[in-house]
Amino acid sequence: MSRIFVTGIGIISPLGDTLSLNHTALKQGHCGISTLELIHSNFAGKLPVGEIKTETQVFKEKLKVKETGYTRNSLLALHAFIDAINDSKLSNKEIASYDTALIGANSVGGMCLTDELYKDANSKSEASEYLSSYDGGSVTLAMQERYGMRGIIDTINTACSSSANSIMYGARLIQNGLAKRAIVGGSDSLAKYTINGFNSLYILSDEICRPFDSERKGLNLAEGAAFLVLESEETVDNKKVYAELTGYCNANDAFHPSSISENADGPFLAMQGALQKANLQPGQIDFINTHGTATENNDEAESTAMIRLFEKVPAFASTKSNTGHTLGAAGAIEAVYSILNLINQEIYQSLQYKNPIPKTSLVPVTAYTKMPINHVLSNSFGFGGNCSSLIFSKA
Amino acid sequence: MSMFYIHQSVCVSAQKTNGVIDLDDIQPIKDNKLQAIEPNYDAIPPAMYRRMGRAVRLASGAALPLLNTLTFNGIVMGTANGGLEDCIKFLNQIVDYNEGKLTPTNFVQSTTNAIASQLAFFSANKGYNNTHVHRGLAFENAALDVGMMLNEFPDNSYLLGGIDEISAYQYNIESLANMYKKEVVLNTELYNSKTAGCIPGDGCAMFAVNKQKTGATAKLKAIGTLHTDKEEDVTQYLKHFIEKNVKDDALNLFLSGENGDSRYLPYYNACKKIVLNVKTEGFKHLCGEYATASSFALWLACYKIKSNNLKNVLIYNNFRGKQHSFMLVGDV
Repeated sequence: MSRIFVTGIGIISPLGDTLSLNHTALKQGHCGISTLELIHSNFAGKLPVGEIKTETQVFKEKLKVKETGYTRNSLLALHAFIDAINDSKLSNKEIASYDTALIGANSVGGMCLTDELYKDANSKSEASEYLSSYDGGSVTLAMQERYGMRGIIDTINTACSSSANSIMYGARLIQNGLAKRAIVGGSDSLAKYTINGFNSLYILSDEICRPFDSERKGLNLAEGAAFLVLESEETVDNKKVYAELTGYCNANDAFHPSSISENADGPFLAMQGALQKANLQPGQIDFINTHGTATENNDEAESTAMIRLFEKVPAFASTKSNTGHTLGAAGAIEAVYSILNLINQEIYQSLQYKNPIPKTSLVPVTAYTKMPINHVLSNSFGFGGNCSSLIFSKA
Repeated sequence: MSMFYIHQSVCVSAQKTNGVIDLDDIQPIKDNKLQAIEPNYDAIPPAMYRRMGRAVRLASGAALPLLNTLTFNGIVMGTANGGLEDCIKFLNQIVDYNEGKLTPTNFVQSTTNAIASQLAFFSANKGYNNTHVHRGLAFENAALDVGMMLNEFPDNSYLLGGIDEISAYQYNIESLANMYKKEVVLNTELYNSKTAGCIPGDGCAMFAVNKQKTGATAKLKAIGTLHTDKEEDVTQYLKHFIEKNVKDDALNLFLSGENGDSRYLPYYNACKKIVLNVKTEGFKHLCGEYATASSFALWLACYKIKSNNLKNVLIYNNFRGKQHSFMLVGDV
């Protein structure tokens, strides 16, 4: 099977709208979580979220979007997509070629337009311009149409692990000979829908989230997007290469719709499978970018899985403490952060951590650290027990 | 890439496709829709059943007979919208209760991956679990995913499914978008209709698939997908697809996804010209139009191959003139 290399990166998150801004913010231990402002909601002015403080209309102008029906989610995705293809220096011809795949991922689709959807679905008024923009596929289709893409196009939704799976699917398309390159990633925008959904489950923190801390109170929702250009070793030629995707695995916890089992079988199997795929021993993982949402359930279960798999748990941290939880975009955003770990040989500190979880006693990295890193494991776990892990290695 | 063999399948649709199969006794539209006849839910615990939205319910009803008798290494679903009804119910709660204290059931059920994960919970399946939601190609991508899994792990078996629901909310949204016929058109008269719009439907088809020929019903030989609104792109793609995959084997049947919508008929007519001497049949008069209706077509192809001793069936479907797919299904 062909080796898979990352040749382009595009990212927009609460830490910034370029790769370099994200890198600087991580290095400086900056937290991009603030109070909700841009959504008309009872939670505005109160709830801490990872919000990108740019109005949707400004994105439309910046990205020169004249088409109707573009949602904030599509705009975030397009923003990251453009940066990724430019970074990889793909020509329009290459992008539209039959052997270029596009695999998007998101969990809210166009439901960020909660009020418009309410009116359209209940036939409350004249049709809005977003009738074809509510589903998850709309986000990917907007990019496909703009660039006239003809290869395999897909959208995946496995909740919070969506874009880890789109990265994995793109890599497999290349390895099975169905594409030469794949533009893969995900996006999600903040929405009244998800804010109220997560609130109804009592897993939103009213403070800035504290991953792996004994006093953690839940997660902060966030928005963002990231896309990677994956190329096979045959097509990569003498292009700039960021990292190699060496391992991946998807497993299901098969326990509960919205929480992980005590034994954390799903997370354990996903990490174990990724190691097997990469042909690595647990001891060879230098750093883990955890899912680390700061919910009561996730951080304890993820710790349990790490203890089960690793004789000595490697250095780990959660960048959710910087960005909040970007849901369907998290897998791709954190893939980018894992690649930053590799290319800069450095670890970014987990923020807001004070005391270990009593049951597991694991301590995340709490200071910026320079160290040799060859392999980074990145975890993404979602509702429905959908657990996925990726391994990026030094190219 | 070679695909896989289909062993058992269950199809829940507006027609008599589940249990005693009778496709001659065509079930008519009700309220201008072809809604799936709900399967038997005896195997689902009542407390769980009450929480399920239509999509999760239909999928569970279709999958449980397979999950209870076979072992799978993973579950892969294609669904454009999953439980959209639950989604809007939760949305209505948000608006009606002004973002107050809401019950999470509809929210949890509304995520599109709730279907594949529910099936994993039923069968304690901790293997590969994925949900493709790419609108009119959600099922095709799920099939391709399984094809790749079996290329990587040839001894494995997977549960592959396509599922979408038509709820009142979906009906409202798509009606506003002029997707459905405004006048009453009987499904038996669907292909004589000269107007825009289709008859909406819903349903679910589940397939037990692997690489083992023994005992199989049919084989999915090849699958191809394309995004375009140009007729010539589609015909060119079809010619190439036939050249590459059909070889000297005779095509016995062309299953056409035409849905009575005059706007999309030209694509189907152009493809029919390429398979000129092959018998053509529609299937949307049976299942109605929905994003994963091609999963019904795959079930129908398997059924016809077995009951009519056909060698090769070619399915062409397009969703709203933009997402096109071809599936070649053969005998074993």
